[in-house]
Amino acid sequence: MARTLSLRMRIGLAIVLALLVVLGGRLFHIQGLDPAGHAHQAVSNRLHTVELPAARGDIVDTQGRLLAGSADRYDIVADPRLTGDHTVPDAELGMQRPVTVEQTAEELALLLDADSAELLEQLTADDTHYATLARNVTPEVHQRIMELRVPGVYSEPVSERTYPSGPVAGSIIGFVGSDGPLEGLESEADEALSGEPGERIYEVGADGVRIPTATYEEVPAEDGQDVRLTIDQDVQWFAQEAIADKTSEYNAQWGNATVVDLREGREGEILAMADSETVDPSDPAETDELFRRPLALTQDFEPGSGGKSVTFAAALEEGLVEPESEFTVPYRMSVNGESIQNARSHADYEMTAAGIYARSYNTGTLMIGNRLEEQTRYDYLRKVGYGEPMDIGLGVEGQSILRPPEEWDRRQPLTTQFGQGYTGSVLHNVQLYQMLAQDGVKHPLRIVDAHLDPDGDEHPVSAESERIFSSETSQEMLKLMEGVVDYGSAMGAQIEGYRVGGKSGTAEAAGAAGGFDGYTVNFVGVAPLDDPQFVVSITVHRPAGEFGDWDLTNTFSDIMTHTLTSYDVAPSDAESGAYDGFVGQRQDYPW
Amino acid sequence: MSVLPLAGSQSAARPTGNRAASSSARSPELKALPKIRRRQRGLMAGVLMLLIAALGAVLATNIYVANAQYEVVQLTNEHRELVYQNQALTQQVQFLESPQALSNSAVTIGMVMPATAGTFDLSSGEIVSGAERASSSEVPSSFVSSPTSVNPEPSAVDVTDPALTSASGLLGTGALYTLSEPTQGDNGSGTDAGAQRSETALRGGTIPAPDLTD
Repeated sequence: MARTLSLRMRIGLAIVLALLVVLGGRLFHIQGLDPAGHAHQAVSNRLHTVELPAARGDIVDTQGRLLAGSADRYDIVADPRLTGDHTVPDAELGMQRPVTVEQTAEELALLLDADSAELLEQLTADDTHYATLARNVTPEVHQRIMELRVPGVYSEPVSERTYPSGPVAGSIIGFVGSDGPLEGLESEADEALSGEPGERIYEVGADGVRIPTATYEEVPAEDGQDVRLTIDQDVQWFAQEAIADKTSEYNAQWGNATVVDLREGREGEILAMADSETVDPSDPAETDELFRRPLALTQDFEPGSGGKSVTFAAALEEGLVEPESEFTVPYRMSVNGESIQNARSHADYEMTAAGIYARSYNTGTLMIGNRLEEQTRYDYLRKVGYGEPMDIGLGVEGQSILRPPEEWDRRQPLTTQFGQGYTGSVLHNVQLYQMLAQDGVKHPLRIVDAHLDPDGDEHPVSAESERIFSSETSQEMLKLMEGVVDYGSAMGAQIEGYRVGGKSGTAEAAGAAGGFDGYTVNFVGVAPLDDPQFVVSITVHRPAGEFGDWDLTNTFSDIMTHTLTSYDVAPSDAESGAYDGFVGQRQDYPW
Repeated sequence: MSVLPLAGSQSAARPTGNRAASSSARSPELKALPKIRRRQRGLMAGVLMLLIAALGAVLATNIYVANAQYEVVQLTNEHRELVYQNQALTQQVQFLESPQALSNSAVTIGMVMPATAGTFDLSSGEIVSGAERASSSEVPSSFVSSPTSVNPEPSAVDVTDPALTSASGLLGTGALYTLSEPTQGDNGSGTDAGAQRSETALRGGTIPAPDLTD
């Protein structure tokens, strides 16, 4: 080896080194500094991000039976730029077989049960890169389509809501449109049901295959919570059948049957909220708009004689009357120049307060109600919930209109005593009887029992209870209600072996053009009175026929009997606690 | 290469000027390469064997992983199919469990609405309420329409036929698939399952890549 290098060698070496330095610098510039972002661009070209959809939570009934769930479905989409005549490998022939786009359209039409001409148009359109061939295709059909191996035909996984019970509790569950939830719990509890979608990031080589050693990240999706309702699917179905039967019998505009649980620990839970017609969440367009939301909340009407319960409870609470206080009740009476009369003409009767309530006499009610100040009566109406929107956690508020006394007209100080001149929803009425049946304590009605995390953790939904009436008032009111069923206006509500109490009501329904042009008939009952377990309310709006033709008590007793036996409430055959309705021995005065 | 002759002439010229110095220095001792001892030879052989063994193991693992990947793809497909089938069956059960469906089935087998049930008070031995005979005309009404099934083809999940022909306890077409197709991949043999797979599935290779897009 030579110790020294010639000058030419040195110059040559220097040039080579300089070039190396330049190249190295350039390499560092491109690889290390990457000012143009080539490496970044290359990676992002290879990176694929796939969203991992979060499973939407289920809606289940109080016993965990599925009311709304999700199923895996596929949307079949096409990129018309890529579709066209192509070849597919044929295993039998062992070679490629040509397939024309027309054949493709026909094969797809057969699988998708669609028109092949339309599909052909979509497959050959030249003004779009994206055409949806079919929505919500079952995995089986999807697989068959993928087996066709048509270039440019892809699938996108989607989740479809299924409602295994169809129209049972349909208006409560609500429904989902193509752009998201539209009504009911699907909409109200959407945030809890939806969850958080995750994503999967990976690199794909030029041949479309994932590069195994490159970036791979997976952020798992957080599935949505399940929502457990207080609704009992079986009771709900039974109530829907019963109220539909009654509504069709009277050819009414609508009907509603609501069942509320009073059992310990479940106070105020709505077991059934049944409408005469109910939307099927899988096909909401089929149902009239009226029946797409729960009628027990959307419809407000005058409670009629049911409202007398507030007057009686307030008078008992204030100590202004006793159940056996005696009154001489005329058929018609005049107060402040306003004439008030009872439903049917009768002689003057010597009656107890309990008898007035049982026979639902307006004149007698006025005699009791007038012992109360207007403002006091108004305050009681507000306390039991009238005049306030009713929110049970369904996103639809029940409306109630109640004007303050200073805005009342000449008749309202009288009519509000027997449930006219103000309105409330079915649930306003039910809430009143819930508190009367439960020791005077108001347990707000609710329909969502709990939210369930995917790992099974429960988040119960609870509500604050509030005492409205004293325990004594509540006990007396139950006895008054028993009189209604024993010898009063709702004797058809009796159930053998159980003590039943309730109150019927009929009020005129306001017409669209002003004035009254129909009736709203209702009955709310409680059983068994020795230890109230359930409240059942029946309401029928605008039944055909004349006043007095309608009787809802058989529907009530059907639903109540079904509920009592379903929940194993044993008959007690206890003695009735009802007070006498008339003063003296004779009790069978004509109506 | 062209530099060598030049370097050679330089080194040839150098000894003439430095002869005195080089003669006084000790001439380098020539030594044979140390003998590799038998033990070390064994070690070398061991290392070599280990290397070969490692190479073999890597190759074997590679082949195994490749084969397993093939199997995984197939099992994943089967699993997916079974999941779908299970989902479809579960849905069928849920639809059949709906109160309307139960009521309809009850009517078709001749059941009627119950009449009042009789009750005894066990403590007093009294009859609390008498039982009534159910009337044969009291069938449940059917105002509430049956749910619209999302599975218009129940035949799609009818497992009765596959169950009859299925050799083992497995049910469904997914199970049939495993019976008709060998589950173990035979990579590289080029004769059976691998050859039947279409080019699109193999994407130019011999092993189908795991499909992440669905």
